[in-house]
Amino acid sequence: MELSFATILGAWVATGLTLFILSFLYEDNPVFKLAEHLYVGVSLGYTIVKTFDTVVMTLIVHPILDKGQWSLLIPVGIGTLMLTRYVPKAAWLSRYAFAFIVGVGAGLAIPRTISSFILKQIEDTVRPLLSIAPGEGVTFTWSLLNPASNLNGIIILIGVVSVLFYFFFSVEHSGPGKLVARAGIMFLMISFGAAFGYTVMARMSLLIGRLTDLIEFSDASYGRPTLWLLLLTVATLIILSRRGNAHPPER
Amino acid sequence: MGFAERMLRIDRRIIFLVIGLCTLLPLLFPVGLPIKISSEVRGVYDYIDKLPEGSVFLLSLDFDPASKPELYPQAVAILRHAFRKNLRVMAMTLWVSGTGLADQIISQTAKEAGKESGKDYVFLGWSPGGSAVILNMGQDLYTTFPADYDGKATKGLPVLAGVQNLRDVAYAVTLAAGNPGVEAWYVFGKDKYKFELGGGCTGVMAPGLYPLLRSGQINGLIGGLRGAAEYETLVGQKGNAVAGMDAQSATHLAIIVLVAICNVFYFAMLRQQRRHERIGS
Repeated sequence: MELSFATILGAWVATGLTLFILSFLYEDNPVFKLAEHLYVGVSLGYTIVKTFDTVVMTLIVHPILDKGQWSLLIPVGIGTLMLTRYVPKAAWLSRYAFAFIVGVGAGLAIPRTISSFILKQIEDTVRPLLSIAPGEGVTFTWSLLNPASNLNGIIILIGVVSVLFYFFFSVEHSGPGKLVARAGIMFLMISFGAAFGYTVMARMSLLIGRLTDLIEFSDASYGRPTLWLLLLTVATLIILSRRGNAHPPER
Repeated sequence: MGFAERMLRIDRRIIFLVIGLCTLLPLLFPVGLPIKISSEVRGVYDYIDKLPEGSVFLLSLDFDPASKPELYPQAVAILRHAFRKNLRVMAMTLWVSGTGLADQIISQTAKEAGKESGKDYVFLGWSPGGSAVILNMGQDLYTTFPADYDGKATKGLPVLAGVQNLRDVAYAVTLAAGNPGVEAWYVFGKDKYKFELGGGCTGVMAPGLYPLLRSGQINGLIGGLRGAAEYETLVGQKGNAVAGMDAQSATHLAIIVLVAICNVFYFAMLRQQRRHERIGS
């Protein structure tokens, strides 16, 4: 398959920047810094251009000029007030814009967040420890794999109570209280362990993604950028390391 | 310095090399370890699978290129499934920095499935406001997105026939790498406008979203590369995620072995120190 010049160029740029970033694993060096600064600059530049095109042109300028939607000048006016922060004498005007945004934001977020997270989560935590099945009377389910089982309900009860007790500092954690607090620590440790395990998995996934691309770009159809740029990166690191040894930093 | 102490002070670059090799070798020489499907991933798959043909399916690609290795395979697998089921796909993003990537994903997958923009699917692009965009879409889709990503007016597009706001969406899935993401879609979308919601996320976010899954606030969760591999297996089109699972397993094994070895050396060093103290006293 014949690849376009843009695709090949993109492969070379992506490979080079990936290798430059990965060179940080050896030590901090100028090629890593070059790639890091390019990443920040390009992502910020992309965001600014995209925001300008979508917000200023598509949502403000075109509707006002082409369709005569003059009411859009009201949010534009409120938004412009924020820019008065850069003029010290008029900076007080920005408070109106911030007051509007904070008021609307809080008004929208507070009731919805309380309903969605606090009330819904309490509802899910406060579960019956036994079930009543029609015709079977009181039953108890043991499945650890079913989140709704009674056994899991008991584990959650113990976990929630012990963790809350661990963070309750008005009572000394001694005697039976110490046991409950210790159980709380254990539950927290398990939770942190699960979170860390997933974090490791995520970081490894990112590495896999990069290495998959490097393997793909080692193909002859791209001109083997992985091979050539790997050699270039290693050579650069060796030269930089030698130069660093020749001129040790003054103390 | 004893052997145990020397091993505990090993150059970190050797550990990087070990992890690098454990990732690279399975990618070059895949083994094909089996992939077990979890109930949370099946939740999303089954719901899409049961949707009648022509239902409106909303996919929000709330991530940027930094999370591409995990969320790109998820997006491709879900879109393949939705196109195969002939759903009307409505895609969008809440992340401005992910607009180009989202467009690439949907265009390529649609081309592969032989679907037409405006008729079978629409990419709405990005609109400013984060969570407020979801609320606006709940009121009126066409004021939030007057035009699609290509600049075509959204009103009158065949794919959006009969769709006025989020209440007309049969199922929504958000693939998120942070905020706004799954939580925002639940708080400002599902909870208010009552449509079914599924989620996909990076591995880092997954433990924080399990409480939403348990309480039924979302009906399924695709977590990280593993979730993507499970979905690819369910769809029957193995891609990047399945290919990466051997490497994932190998690195996890390497980390477990390293943790175990370090503990062995730590306790050996401790024993050595105590012996020295005993001899000294």
